[in-house]
Amino acid sequence: MELANTLSQDGKSGGGVLAHLERLETQMNRSHKKLEEAQSAQAVESALGTKIQKLRCLRDKLRAEVRERQARVKASTADVEPDQTLDISEQEILERRQENLKAILQAYRFTGISGKLTSRGVCVCISTAFEGNLLDSYFVDLVMQKPVRIHHHSIPVFIPLEEISAKYLETNIQHFLFILSEHLNAYSGRKYQADRLQSDFAALLAGPLQRNSLCSVLSFTYNVELKGRSFPFGARLLYKDLTAALPTDVSVTYQGMDALPSTWEEQRAAHENLFFKKPLHRVFNSFARKGEELDVNLLF
Amino acid sequence: MDSHRAEADALEAEIRALKRACLELPAPGEDTSRVRQSFQGIYQSDSEEWKSSKNQRRHLGRLESELRFLSTLTGIRIRSYSKKTEDLTGTEMAEKSIKKVLQRHRLSGSCHMITFQLEFQILEIQNKESLSSVITDLSIIMEPTKYSELSEFVSRTEERRDLFMFFRSLHFFVEWCEYRKRTFKHFKGKYPEIVHLSKGASSSCMGIRSPSQPDFELVIVWRIHVDEAGKVLPRLDLLTKAPLRALELDKKGVIESAPLSFRTLLGVLGIEATLESLIKSLCAQS
Repeated sequence: MELANTLSQDGKSGGGVLAHLERLETQMNRSHKKLEEAQSAQAVESALGTKIQKLRCLRDKLRAEVRERQARVKASTADVEPDQTLDISEQEILERRQENLKAILQAYRFTGISGKLTSRGVCVCISTAFEGNLLDSYFVDLVMQKPVRIHHHSIPVFIPLEEISAKYLETNIQHFLFILSEHLNAYSGRKYQADRLQSDFAALLAGPLQRNSLCSVLSFTYNVELKGRSFPFGARLLYKDLTAALPTDVSVTYQGMDALPSTWEEQRAAHENLFFKKPLHRVFNSFARKGEELDVNLLF
Repeated sequence: MDSHRAEADALEAEIRALKRACLELPAPGEDTSRVRQSFQGIYQSDSEEWKSSKNQRRHLGRLESELRFLSTLTGIRIRSYSKKTEDLTGTEMAEKSIKKVLQRHRLSGSCHMITFQLEFQILEIQNKESLSSVITDLSIIMEPTKYSELSEFVSRTEERRDLFMFFRSLHFFVEWCEYRKRTFKHFKGKYPEIVHLSKGASSSCMGIRSPSQPDFELVIVWRIHVDEAGKVLPRLDLLTKAPLRALELDKKGVIESAPLSFRTLLGVLGIEATLESLIKSLCAQS
């Protein structure tokens, strides 16, 4: 949220420089008009001198601004480092350079954002991963015109693509891609955790795992064993921050009929804490491994 | 008289031309138009390559343009990359149609002023149903090391083997650094006598001091923090410097409560408006 505010402020700050320069110009124009009304030629003459000074100042500032912007454009289009090779035939040098460049183009997928040129623009591929596991990739096909638009894409409908592109696509395309990547990676991570819970720990779940497509609301009941007795707990996890893979709200409740023994109140609170801090399947991993009363001290 | 007239006219014409040039070049923060220009540049250079008879040179030129475009699009320039593959499939695995391959990757490049060198391993296991790829090791070297805010982030990322988060957080970190630099430069340009950047515009400190009262100083410390989850957030603090006599006279404790008031103001006005109002309030007489 803060970033969004500052970005629009940033646009103003860039406009601020131009606006500032424009203000100088209007000031100048105003003083120019005043001077025209003056009677004596000498007044006109000296006023002209002042005007020239102000014009020079404005011109110098504009020159500096243009230089700086040109430098930025140049910096972003600097060449890729040439390959170091021995004295071989030119053909081989070219071939080697070609292989090198192709490899680097392929390597972009490891940044999480890569792309293939198309006739109308670029097809960007956003890769996702969670805890080192490489997961699904999504693509966004962009048309490089004024304005930039999305030709088609494979982003799931519950990801706020419209919102994100309305905010950033036209002004800051890098931001658009990285913020989209944030959302997709978080979604992928949540989905991975829910899938793992369902597949690996079905034995510990008392009922089906209830989830929405965005995997931002999860609800399930699980049994915790203690000295031969089984205690049912219900958990509800809310992920209000769509760019995070850990929940923002957790509530664990005792589902049994009889009163909850006091030691188990500590357990219940400890479980809540665990769900906040660790990925879902890891929490269940520790439940499964212990199989006995969890040492509360270990959890904090 | 005439020569002055002529000079004024010439200056006005030049100013008009410079303004046009300014509008055509992207302002800081307007990356999309830069990316669009880079894309158009590909096809322009491509038509030049048609004139050359060497097929390979044309192909090479195209690849170079594509690479330049990708680095403009992502903000990340990959300078070199190499990969080694090791087949770990044992005979037992092969019988069950399971294939196990270990890839070792080496990647180096830069993102604005930060350069990085990565070495990571990916274990690929292919069985009848599916293919799984897992990053099993990640090691990161980053320069310059002066960004102490990043060293903790780097070790956390290595521990989690979160390759994509590294690049994402790097992008946001660099964007914030650039924004901070632009903001400091803007205020220095607008109030040159009052704003002091003793360590330059790329540092994290901006001083505000009125020339008529040099003993009073406000220092804005603007750090950029990467949290546990890889989120990049600005952290601004206000430090005050006042002569002892002034502190004694300050019955209401205005100076003491300034840092807290600063935080509140940030929440209400945002960064730029807060800094502007601070500068104006300190130098109300100027």
